[in-house]
Amino acid sequence: MNKEAKFMIGRIYFTIFGLVVLGIGAAEILLGVTGRSLEWGIMEMSGEFLLWRGLILSFAGAFYLSSIKNFADIHQQAKAMMASVMIWIIAGMQIFSMILESIPGGEEGGWFNTLEGFLASYSAPYIPSLFLLPFSLVMLYYIRLLKEVEEKRLKEDLSKTEVRV
Amino acid sequence: MKLTVDERWDLIDKIAKQTVRYGEYRHTLKDAIAEITVKPLTGIPIAIAVLYGFWSFFGAFAGFFTDGFLVKLFDNHWLPWLQEVFPGKGGWVYYILVGDPAADNCFEAFGMLTSGLFVAIGVVLPAIVAFYLFLIILEDSGYLPRLAVLIDTVLHKIGLHGFAVVPMILSLGCNVPAVAATRTLETRKQRFMMATLLAIFIPCGAQLGIMLEVIPGYVGFVMIYLLVGFFVFGFILNKVIPGKSPEILLDVPPYHMPTARNVGRKLWVRVRSFFTVAIPFVLLGVVIVNIMYLTGFLDWLANVLEPVLCGWFGVPKETVGPLIAAFLRKDLAVAQLSAIEMTTYQLVTSVVLVSLYFPCVATFAMLIKEGREGGWKGVAQYLFGSLAALIAVVFLWGGLVHLIWIILGVA
Repeated sequence: MNKEAKFMIGRIYFTIFGLVVLGIGAAEILLGVTGRSLEWGIMEMSGEFLLWRGLILSFAGAFYLSSIKNFADIHQQAKAMMASVMIWIIAGMQIFSMILESIPGGEEGGWFNTLEGFLASYSAPYIPSLFLLPFSLVMLYYIRLLKEVEEKRLKEDLSKTEVRV
Repeated sequence: MKLTVDERWDLIDKIAKQTVRYGEYRHTLKDAIAEITVKPLTGIPIAIAVLYGFWSFFGAFAGFFTDGFLVKLFDNHWLPWLQEVFPGKGGWVYYILVGDPAADNCFEAFGMLTSGLFVAIGVVLPAIVAFYLFLIILEDSGYLPRLAVLIDTVLHKIGLHGFAVVPMILSLGCNVPAVAATRTLETRKQRFMMATLLAIFIPCGAQLGIMLEVIPGYVGFVMIYLLVGFFVFGFILNKVIPGKSPEILLDVPPYHMPTARNVGRKLWVRVRSFFTVAIPFVLLGVVIVNIMYLTGFLDWLANVLEPVLCGWFGVPKETVGPLIAAFLRKDLAVAQLSAIEMTTYQLVTSVVLVSLYFPCVATFAMLIKEGREGGWKGVAQYLFGSLAALIAVVFLWGGLVHLIWIILGVA
């Protein structure tokens, strides 16, 4: 498959993904403003920073959608990259918190958690950003692809450029 | 060997021929990301995400050490051991050093070796480490100067410029280096304004750590309220204080990966200064407040100030103790507030008052030091100017919180 086709697939992928991210962000904002929470299977939308998470996801969704026009352009890729970074910040901090919370033994327990308690710390439900995280990693493939295109272009440019004095 | 002008140009041509290649410069992804982080439309959402990351990291990291291990260490082991082995139970020395013999946690004991050490090491130290670690990563990655560019327009409205964001953010760690960092601002007006505003409105990392323990659900409200106050009073000060607010050109470095060595070194230098500057003040604060309590001075002062505290601010008269402690350490004062019986809204108002009230003694000394550049007149201007601003802010902004609670029907 040539690179143009790959970028076209990326464009379609990030249009759909951007809409999903924007939708989840809007739902979190709505729940945050009304002070409600939602649990749907193993996913839950609740917590202290719900409104902020919703706001960041909405921005990330908007970034993805604004990047799809001329998707192969480096400036557009930068926007999609930052949208992914915003999801990574939320999901990364959630994973970081889960790891740190799973280690100590709790108020009444010993210094360290039991094996059951440790494993229970990682059980569902999870915030939506954790589900979005693997899908946002697709951006890394496009960054690599862009790098290849840029390197090829640079080589062509160098071969064409004249050395002037 | 001496070269003629023509020979020199020939040499330059030869060197250029071998070293300079002309072509079209294409933006790299790093350049494109650098660009979008300073444009308001894309930069502000990214800044919000970074601040979210900062708060999450701060809460998780500090909570891991404080709630996970240090509360247990101090409450279950250190306090019972001290209560058991310390001689003279019920005496003055016991009360000053160990505190209430019936207390079952270090927050309520209020002795120098119990609450004093717990606040300094158990609560504030993890918060300070978390704050500085994240700040250093932002600094070394090149994001902080971009934040300065981003916030430049907003800060211009109050007579400052983007680079004022550096003392502002440093102030979230400790007000002392932040007041020193105001030297980077151009005019005396800007330096005075920034020093005064951050001493009044920006809580330090130690205070933030304690606030997260005492009022976890209201820290966001307090921060937004203080930030709005920062800009409202900044706007007023800009109109009232004579002087210039010139434009500056800011050099923005490219993004790069922070090195572990630099981060480690910077972190050590900053945490070390916390040990030498802050901890002695926390311990001294506990001793002074305990002496005032034991001599009855605190009760007398509480009765004298009762009409102002209860009537104007809507907080219990007992908050006078923490307000005195706030002059030494604000984190200590917030910790003391948690031991006083009051409603959640009174507690939030008291935390706001402690933040707005007199800067801690270390910041106060720093304000005097910064004012010295203008001689005694400069010191007087800095001190009286800051005090006048502070009194106005405490009564107006502090009283306004009470008014908000009355309007909401919760006070």
